Amino acid sequence: MDNAIRLEKVTVNFDDRFALSEIDWTIEKNQHWVITGTNGSGKSALAAVLAGVGDIESGEVSGLPSHVGLVSFEAQAELIAKELKKDDADIMDVISLGTPVHEMIFDNCQDPKLAQELVEKFGLTPLLNRAFRKLSTGETRKVMLIRALSSKPNLLILDEPFDGLDAATLTMLQEHLISIVDTVPMVLVLNRFDEMPDFITHVAYMDKSALESKKTPKNRSEKAAIESGKLALTVDKNNEQAFHELYQLLHIKTTDLSVPEADPTNKLPELDPSQPLVKLKQATIKYGDTVIVDKLDWTIEQGQHWQLSGPNGSGKTCVLSLITGDHPQCYTNDIFVFGFQRGNGESIWQIKQFIGYVSTALQWEYRVSTSCRNVIISGFFDSIGMYSKSSDKQKAIADQWLELLGMKDRANQPFNKLSYGDQRLLLIARAMVKHPPLLILDEPCLGLDDMNRQLVLALIEKICEGQETTVLYVNHHAEDQIKGIENYLGLVKNS
Amino acid sequence: MANYFNTLPLREQLAQLAKCRFMSMSEFDDGVDALKGKKIVVIGCGAQGLNQGLNLRDSGLDVSYTLRAAAIAEKRQSWKNATENGFVVGTYEELIPTADVVLNLTPDKQHTPVVKTVMPLMKQGACLSYSHGFNIVEEGMQIREDLTVIMVAPKCPGSEVRAEYVRGFGVPTLIAVHEDNDPKGEGLALAKAYAVGTGGHKAGVLMSSFIAEVKSDLMGEQTILCGMLQTGSILCFDKMIEEGIDAGYASRLIQYGWETVTEALKYGGVTNMLDRLSNPAKIKAFDLSEELKVIMRPLYNKHQDDIISGHFSQTMMEDWANDDKNLLGWRAETAETNFEKTPAGDVEISEQEFFDNGILMVAMVKAGVELAFETMTAAGIVAESAYYESLHETPLIANTIARKKLYEMNATISDTAEYGCYLYNHACLPLLADFMKDIKTDVIGKGLSTDDNGVDNARLIEVNAALRSHPVEAIGTVLRGHMADMKKIV
Repeated sequence: MDNAIRLEKVTVNFDDRFALSEIDWTIEKNQHWVITGTNGSGKSALAAVLAGVGDIESGEVSGLPSHVGLVSFEAQAELIAKELKKDDADIMDVISLGTPVHEMIFDNCQDPKLAQELVEKFGLTPLLNRAFRKLSTGETRKVMLIRALSSKPNLLILDEPFDGLDAATLTMLQEHLISIVDTVPMVLVLNRFDEMPDFITHVAYMDKSALESKKTPKNRSEKAAIESGKLALTVDKNNEQAFHELYQLLHIKTTDLSVPEADPTNKLPELDPSQPLVKLKQATIKYGDTVIVDKLDWTIEQGQHWQLSGPNGSGKTCVLSLITGDHPQCYTNDIFVFGFQRGNGESIWQIKQFIGYVSTALQWEYRVSTSCRNVIISGFFDSIGMYSKSSDKQKAIADQWLELLGMKDRANQPFNKLSYGDQRLLLIARAMVKHPPLLILDEPCLGLDDMNRQLVLALIEKICEGQETTVLYVNHHAEDQIKGIENYLGLVKNS
Repeated sequence: MANYFNTLPLREQLAQLAKCRFMSMSEFDDGVDALKGKKIVVIGCGAQGLNQGLNLRDSGLDVSYTLRAAAIAEKRQSWKNATENGFVVGTYEELIPTADVVLNLTPDKQHTPVVKTVMPLMKQGACLSYSHGFNIVEEGMQIREDLTVIMVAPKCPGSEVRAEYVRGFGVPTLIAVHEDNDPKGEGLALAKAYAVGTGGHKAGVLMSSFIAEVKSDLMGEQTILCGMLQTGSILCFDKMIEEGIDAGYASRLIQYGWETVTEALKYGGVTNMLDRLSNPAKIKAFDLSEELKVIMRPLYNKHQDDIISGHFSQTMMEDWANDDKNLLGWRAETAETNFEKTPAGDVEISEQEFFDNGILMVAMVKAGVELAFETMTAAGIVAESAYYESLHETPLIANTIARKKLYEMNATISDTAEYGCYLYNHACLPLLADFMKDIKTDVIGKGLSTDDNGVDNARLIEVNAALRSHPVEAIGTVLRGHMADMKKIV
């Protein structure tokens, strides 16, 4: 393959069952790619496009190789279906045995010598005369692999090639792939990073696309609900930082995102379910004659997730700090929070125990030298830094969060040495760790790159699905929405 | 009014001076209960007043502010501080009669007029709290017999008191009860609740006496804390200029050098500060500091003696009565020193270079800390007090010099500290004149030549042993240990 394969703003439709939207992707020669991403994001679909599958609806595709070796569950299923069809089509009263394995492998084979070698290596020799459709899944896989590898392809696409292979075969296959690195470019679809061979040079990360409804032409409105995926980003494996972040992202996306449990020994006082979590009446914040927040009424019921938006200076953070008790003027306003009418002898720690909170200001204030694990544990104590002894249970929960964030190996590293994004992730875990009745996320994604942003949004969605936490999400942009949040409050700037 | 300390018999003076105990966490189990539901009125809304009030309110206590009628009418900064933070503000006449606890957080110099004004307005059996004992001990203020008198003194600037509370922690705090004014025996309970309300109990509380607080605080601030750093700044800077060091470099080395070397002091005492030097430099600094201690010891003794006898406070109060003639004159002089007038040059000085090229500064800090500690303990002040008033607070003052040099340091510290600082400086500059003649750039400005890093083993062992066995290091290790247990962050 001399030329690069280029996909420019390519939108592909797969029988209206699935679509890929606006893919921009270039595979240069001598590159070996892994396609990875969330379930249902179109990893296999993208790989299949390279093999000429799917209807290109728009965009430019160039440099597709003339002969592609493709191994995938889809292709495997197709072959089996063909075999079954042969059986059905047999009009003679003879039981068809189906195509034997040796025919499947050696008919039309471009490199019989290699095929023979692989048959022996993969231990298929005793099965050569057996009908292909009688083979087990793993055996079928091996046949598929041998067919693809011995077809002298100018692009090899292996979709989850390692699934269903025993350990010995896996090793042999990997060794073989390494031996052909210089002869054929490869694209592997993998769900798990730890299966990625060393020779891979680039990673393409797919995510579900949220744009389908906007992008569907009006005359096909009934198809507005087509599931679709997009190529979220591509990463050069040599870029260690980006690669590490992608690893974390994939980790969290493909882990069956379950939020670690709260500390069962650290029970909060019961809240009366008939009362709102928060009730601000005519809330006003002013400095001298400057009014920042003017007579705001706002009630947050339990389980009612909110998004708060507004331009800079519209008082978003001020309003939040009335709720958290961080704003001194919370004592001059009519504020009811978590069963307390403010200013009646309650302490700020009695309020904060019900809140998990993350904001840019918090990150700025979190300038203490403590370990990553302690930063998460400090969420149990609502403190910045650790000043109390933590229990083994709390440490264990913190470790589960670190695992979830893909930062298990950093438990004892100093927090202040981490990148901004990693710090932010830990502070978000800190906010969530105690499963607070109210989780306040003040522009949690600010300063995060795409990958970390997606990771955080996935976590928030997950929390919104649960029962115990009410989410209050703050963002500049009203369009940046989170599934599960259905209440919106927009603040305007007081001039 | 007579000096209260001087009215006491010797045995009582010694007993009071020796009071200082590190309290255990379990002594604060009652939280803020003793103050719950009581009306707390703060006089003064500067950095301590405002920030302590914010903490107490966030701990669920009822806090309001009283200011002089003029401050309210003219909407002065103190009025703005209180009202913008949502506090009720009223005149003395309006609020003092309603108060169960009055926190006097005005500057020392105003204590006598303030207390004389508010005392008749205070209700029967209320509590008056100070954050510094000068008014009671030195000015001999007599408080109405029915009133309880306590002291709660966070050992950090007001902004820090707030910042640590918000983090969920606090700052080390000293508490005391004026035993002559504890009619209901509730002084200690109130002081403890107050310390909890400001978060101080989380960082460690010292139970002391009004007398120990005053006599050690005055000694620390005028000698090692402010005086030594001021004198050292002037001498080191002038020496470097005399020896042809670039003025910008010299100014930067001094301005930021104190902060850098005392940071090492904060973490690991004098030992750690000296351990940051190379072996030859360490021995050099040790020898210089021994020399300095011999020269300066009479001066430290004089300061301590004048503080104990009341001579210091008497002369200072005379200056207060004389419209601060001396204080303002000396303040103006400070602004005119060459160091003050030379801006720090735009040169990079690495952290280690501050040590390597500032051997004399390290020696001065060591000599000052040890002398202040030795003099205080010799006067009957216990090691805990002496440690906090010498070594512990030195980095805080060094930090104010780093921010804005000497003039600003003097403007930031209390009037008593500033007055004492100038007294010390005026006596110490001529005292060190001969010593400074032999000083060259190897110990200030350029550092030792690095051809040979060799030292005599026996001498190094002696020096290390001497450093580590000093009593300030023994108590420092214990107290920093308490702090480290409580404050994992440092």
